[in-house]
Amino acid sequence: MSRTTVSRTLLATSVLTVTALLATACGGSGSTTAASSGGGKNLHVYAWAGEIPDSVVKGFEKETGIKVTVDTFDSNETMTAKLSTGASGYDLVEPSQYTVQQLIGQQLIQPLDHSKIEGLDNLAAKFRDPSYDKGNKYSVPWIWGTTGFAYNDTCIKSATSWKTLFDSAHKGKLYMLDNMLAAYIAGLQVTGHRATSTDKDQIAEATAALVKQKKILAGYNSTNYPQLLSSGQACAAEAWSGTAMAKVVQSNKNVHYVIPSEGGSIWTDGLAIPKGAKNVTSAYAFITYLLRPEVAAKATDDGSSASANQAARAHIKDKDALKNPAIYASDAAIAKADFLLDPGTAMQYFQQGWTKVKAS
Amino acid sequence: MTVTAAPPAPVPVPPAARTGRARHRAVTFALLAPAGLTVLALVLVPLVLVVRNSFALPDAYGGIEGGFTFANYTELFDPVYLKVFGYSLGMAALNTAVCLLLGYLVSYYLAGRSPQRQGLLLLLIIVPFWTDFLVRTFAWINLLSPGGPVNGLTDALGITHGPAQWIPSQGASFVGLVYAFLPTAIFPIYATLRGVDPSLGEAARDLGCGWWRVHTRVLLPLVRPGLLAAALLTFIPTLGVFVIPVLLGGGKNQLVGNLIVTLYTEFRNQPMGAAASVVLLVLMIASVAVLGTAARRLRRRTS
Repeated sequence: MSRTTVSRTLLATSVLTVTALLATACGGSGSTTAASSGGGKNLHVYAWAGEIPDSVVKGFEKETGIKVTVDTFDSNETMTAKLSTGASGYDLVEPSQYTVQQLIGQQLIQPLDHSKIEGLDNLAAKFRDPSYDKGNKYSVPWIWGTTGFAYNDTCIKSATSWKTLFDSAHKGKLYMLDNMLAAYIAGLQVTGHRATSTDKDQIAEATAALVKQKKILAGYNSTNYPQLLSSGQACAAEAWSGTAMAKVVQSNKNVHYVIPSEGGSIWTDGLAIPKGAKNVTSAYAFITYLLRPEVAAKATDDGSSASANQAARAHIKDKDALKNPAIYASDAAIAKADFLLDPGTAMQYFQQGWTKVKAS
Repeated sequence: MTVTAAPPAPVPVPPAARTGRARHRAVTFALLAPAGLTVLALVLVPLVLVVRNSFALPDAYGGIEGGFTFANYTELFDPVYLKVFGYSLGMAALNTAVCLLLGYLVSYYLAGRSPQRQGLLLLLIIVPFWTDFLVRTFAWINLLSPGGPVNGLTDALGITHGPAQWIPSQGASFVGLVYAFLPTAIFPIYATLRGVDPSLGEAARDLGCGWWRVHTRVLLPLVRPGLLAAALLTFIPTLGVFVIPVLLGGGKNQLVGNLIVTLYTEFRNQPMGAAASVVLLVLMIASVAVLGTAARRLRRRTS
């Protein structure tokens, strides 16, 4: 998930708060500790909220007797901050692809011993040997998704290009994700560049396009944009695939999720073992368990997310999910999609550019 | 000299009393220690860290590398960032002005009610505080959305016709700010206004003052300390707000708070985030100083 916005965090926090208000008997926030007799063996997992279904955790505990504690985060930065304190106590973390790069650079995760993992062959071709982690040396992809846009056909007949979001004909009915990296995917691709660009001039061009676009936007939104699309308050909005968007696409026939013809982008959240993890054997056991096709299928059936496991597709019971572009984009649609990578030192161009966009 | 004759020389402070005073001091210290340590650990240490980090160089991953540079501050003087600071100060000033005006009117109304009624009304002002700030802000999204309750009301009154697109907008963002800070403005004004003898207003009225002059010539000067406190409690926190512009303003106009959050998270530039925080802190201290001086001058004049 390359979705790291304040508002998302806020939404999650507020949802938590509401939940806490409704059910005062709610347990420790974001932490599911299954009561298991265990064999004295433990596993501490730190994962994206909602990406490892409870059914998967329970199944693993039952089979191995290892007691699993899952803590959740809703931004890569939160997770990185915890790991960088040195004594996080986690045995397994779930960073997004560009965060894998950063964690390798900061030496916070350890190389994986492939002899202790079974089932890597089950991964889809594009997640074996990905550009951000050659040879899956440090991470095993688990969930993937896309960044594209969605539109409501009651006000826009059909749309295939990012240009829809830059068209002044829809002034005041357009939304962009309130996230720098996501905004620049659109900004760079609409000006004819790759989303992975780190070129100063290309980024400046994208910034100019985004500044111009701001005048016709209703706003930046990464919280309730699927609802705005559904109610027609938004004609088109930049969007992340996943549970929230998938539900709206499924329930409202007028809303369509599109990977733009310029390419769009893919993200993936994978499993990695932090340096200094105490229960490494259990961590490898869990990775191997998650790589089983029938287990990976639960990510879709119980979690409404796309699994990086190709072999899992045959085991997915919810066949509609496989056809829902807001969960599984077709291979043709993502043929040109860019894997968003860590911009490295080009970060400063994005930073200055995005501040300019926001302050304009 | 015989040893036996001399009784033990009287000491100015008997040993028992001395240990007693020492014990007293130790007890005082022990009692103060928890609060002192809390302030030290939770306020001073983080503050020192932030100030230190604001002069540090960022590493390739946005963390703190160490070293010493003024670059984080000089970069903040880029017009792009200055605009954010300027906008924040403007919004905070406007919000303070509106909150003071509304706060004064509400306080005046409150102070004129019977004591039981005052208690009930104050309770009604406090009740929303029992709900989380975020949830209340989310409630405004529903209230202001097209076809929402507010829209329904204005439709019924014939002010609008059909769904109105009020949200997201700067207006909605401003409504959110006023909503968030109005109660904090009401309390200090109400507290001072309650201490003002109601007969003063009556006397002014008897002597021929109209409504406007009763307030401007008689009551307002008397509640000025309350107004200053309210201004302080509104202006400074407004500078740090970041939720409201995102949720109600559509993220189109940033406040300094938004800038700091983005610097720390998305931009992965902790040193510059720290520098922006320090600048904000200085702005806050400056406004406290200005308002404090105003309050002191006021006291000198009245005494």
